Amino acid sequence: MLATLAIASLARHRTRTVLAILGVAVSAAMLLDMVMLSSGMRESFRGLLLSQGFQLRLSPRGTLPFDTEATIRGADSVLAVVRARPTVVAASPVLGGQLHFPTGGATITASALGVEPAVQGDYELVAGRQPAAADEIVANDATLRAIGHSLGDTVRAAAGYDPQLRTFSGERTLRIVGRVRFIYLALDQRAVALPISTLRAMGGPSSADRMSLAMVKLRPGADVERERAALHAFLPQVTVTSTAQALEQVDQRLSYFRQLAVILGSVSLIVGFLLVTTLVTVSVNERIGEIAVMRAIGVHRWRIVGQILLESSALMLIAAPLGLGLGLLTARWLDGILASFPGLPERIDFFLFQPRAAWTALGLLVVSGILAGIYPSWRSASLPIAGTLRPAAVG
Amino acid sequence: MTGGAIVEVRDLVREYRMGEERVPALRGVSFTVEPSEYVAIVGPSGCGKSTLLNLLGVIDRPTSGTVSIAGERVDQLADARATEFRLRRIGFVFQRFYLLQALSARENVELPLAEAGMSGAERRARALELLEYVGLGRRERHRPSQLSGGEQQRVAIARALANRPALLLADEPTGELDARTGAEMIALFERLNRDGTTVVVVTHDEDLARAAKRVIHMRDGTIVDDARADPADRRVEPVGLAPEPHER
Amino acid sequence: MRLHLGQLQSLLGYGDRVDRFAVATRSAEATGDAVARINASAFGFRAHRSTDVAVETSKTFAVVSRFHRAIGTITIVASAIFLLCIMLLKVDERRRDVAALRLIGCSERTIVGSVVLEAAAISVFGSLFGVVVGGTASFLVNRHYQAVYRTPLRFSIVTGDIVVFAVALALVLGIVAGWLAARRLVRTPPLALFGR
Repeated sequence: MLATLAIASLARHRTRTVLAILGVAVSAAMLLDMVMLSSGMRESFRGLLLSQGFQLRLSPRGTLPFDTEATIRGADSVLAVVRARPTVVAASPVLGGQLHFPTGGATITASALGVEPAVQGDYELVAGRQPAAADEIVANDATLRAIGHSLGDTVRAAAGYDPQLRTFSGERTLRIVGRVRFIYLALDQRAVALPISTLRAMGGPSSADRMSLAMVKLRPGADVERERAALHAFLPQVTVTSTAQALEQVDQRLSYFRQLAVILGSVSLIVGFLLVTTLVTVSVNERIGEIAVMRAIGVHRWRIVGQILLESSALMLIAAPLGLGLGLLTARWLDGILASFPGLPERIDFFLFQPRAAWTALGLLVVSGILAGIYPSWRSASLPIAGTLRPAAVG
Repeated sequence: MTGGAIVEVRDLVREYRMGEERVPALRGVSFTVEPSEYVAIVGPSGCGKSTLLNLLGVIDRPTSGTVSIAGERVDQLADARATEFRLRRIGFVFQRFYLLQALSARENVELPLAEAGMSGAERRARALELLEYVGLGRRERHRPSQLSGGEQQRVAIARALANRPALLLADEPTGELDARTGAEMIALFERLNRDGTTVVVVTHDEDLARAAKRVIHMRDGTIVDDARADPADRRVEPVGLAPEPHER
Repeated sequence: MRLHLGQLQSLLGYGDRVDRFAVATRSAEATGDAVARINASAFGFRAHRSTDVAVETSKTFAVVSRFHRAIGTITIVASAIFLLCIMLLKVDERRRDVAALRLIGCSERTIVGSVVLEAAAISVFGSLFGVVVGGTASFLVNRHYQAVYRTPLRFSIVTGDIVVFAVALALVLGIVAGWLAARRLVRTPPLALFGR
């Protein structure tokens, strides 16, 4: 009976109900987007860091991986210490640099990663194979397009280039054996990878026995923080960063987006709440007489409140899934805008859909909408019956 | 209470605050209503008759004085108890019917039954019985907007009778009806009373007042006359009702 | 950290090298002339206008700006829906008044006009209040992020044309919402508005 009344009340004013549903849906969409934004990047980055299974990263003391041009001296001995740990499955050294490719009149520069192909975790093979020999190289599509070469070609590359004198140093002839996608680089960033020994040789004495970074993979079930602390103690010349710590750093640097998400999310919640409050208030004001009659014939106050809350619940429950769909669409759009950040790894998403967080947010909106109806409905059900039934109290 | 009276009112006073002023609507009214009585309360506008009805219907509280209905003091009941009392012991019929537009005739009658906790099948049966009693058995599915004024008032009466109240109160029940429909309503009230319902109506309608067995005249918040009507003056027009009265 | 150039060159073993030169010119025309001359005669380096460099290095901020514009667009769409809904509710509340006015002979134009005027007034005053709130928020945002990032950069600026745009947009949305709500009501027969 009360459900019938609730539905009939919503159906009585169709335009108003539709607009209210739309309004709440938009609030829900914005709230969902902000929830996705507040944790999306963090989770996306975490996924990226763990995608190849490496839980620890070693970088020069006091720096974060590839934050500076500093390198770790004595790379081989550092790796030996790491690989000697019983919990370590693999350690992947990475030396960062640049390679210059003379092409006709211009010189194309690409980021270069010196790796051990067998244990590397920086790229995924799209076509071809891993470098097996010292003079083999893999490149991404951006590089191949820029230098005008393809898989199987031989190219001339140099580690050093003096633009004033237009002279090259550390030159080598390399064969392109693979097309790759770099996991931690932007899609349009030119990059190549080759054996670390080759890059060191091309870089000259200053690059000997050096690495920019080492990634460490632990056995399943290993205590990551314990290993981190142990390596930190054994290797004072490096900073050992776990995934959790890396995420903290990311959080700090990208706190702006989290704060924006919290503010806009709160605003969405408040606006949704206000909209439902206004709607319920106007709706019950119109039905004050009807409510007074129900009270007069013996319907309890709480049941009347329940009927009105049923209306606001129905409104919210219809609007929430609509908001979910709208939110996912707008999130895609917004994510596309933010994905054009310079230097952002291709696989980073700012807006990540996490079912639990999303349902929590939408649940919060539904509950707040229901609560928004409590005060106006209780107020209307508590008005003096006689005074509400007849305009003049004295009859 | 005086010998089993359904209604007992003692020194009832009701004042309203209008800004700085206190306006007395009732100035100390006392009377009783016996079971199965049919009482009409008449008087000019502003005499306090509707205020009195509201107090009897436990939808308002007196400033002072006492009201007892079916042996229970009702003048200072807490809201929840007052609501329960209205649900089970009092039936109220309003001038403007006040049916819920979203519900059918049957559903309007079922509403107080649902509130009283009756099961679905029982409610439906009882509601249909009542609609038959008031002559609207075939209009159970119609919405109020599809019923005439007289039909709506009959539905309102059926609703008021749903929980077998000790007392049926009616506030200008013929106020919104034309003469012919009003006459039908008067006949229905007479029939209700004949079937044992205690009826108190407030009215400006002379015909309705004449149909009552007792007329209480009010003026300026007090009772100025309380007389039993002469049976010879009463009209009986059984028009448009079910062929046989139902057992209650 | 700042050092004398010679000392840093010596520390780094750079010799007689620098990363870049910054050149100040007398005027915009002089800047263009200087860029052309340097690029014509330079050997191994190029000259760029500071504004062009700023554009390149501001790509991050450009993305953030686009993002903010997108959020702003969504907010405007949401506000329009809310405004229409609220106007509809407010106008509906007064349907009996509107019915009475129609019955005594007031034209649709008068009724719609009064509703639109009210909506416009609410929009203007509401948006002016919003400007105050926005200005305060902008001040607080700048205070906060300047402290966090230790920079004199201003993250939020409320300019005159932004205020004008906000007020104008609110006015347009309010008028449209009021007009739509009022039109809907005046098209309903007066007796129907009374519930008969």
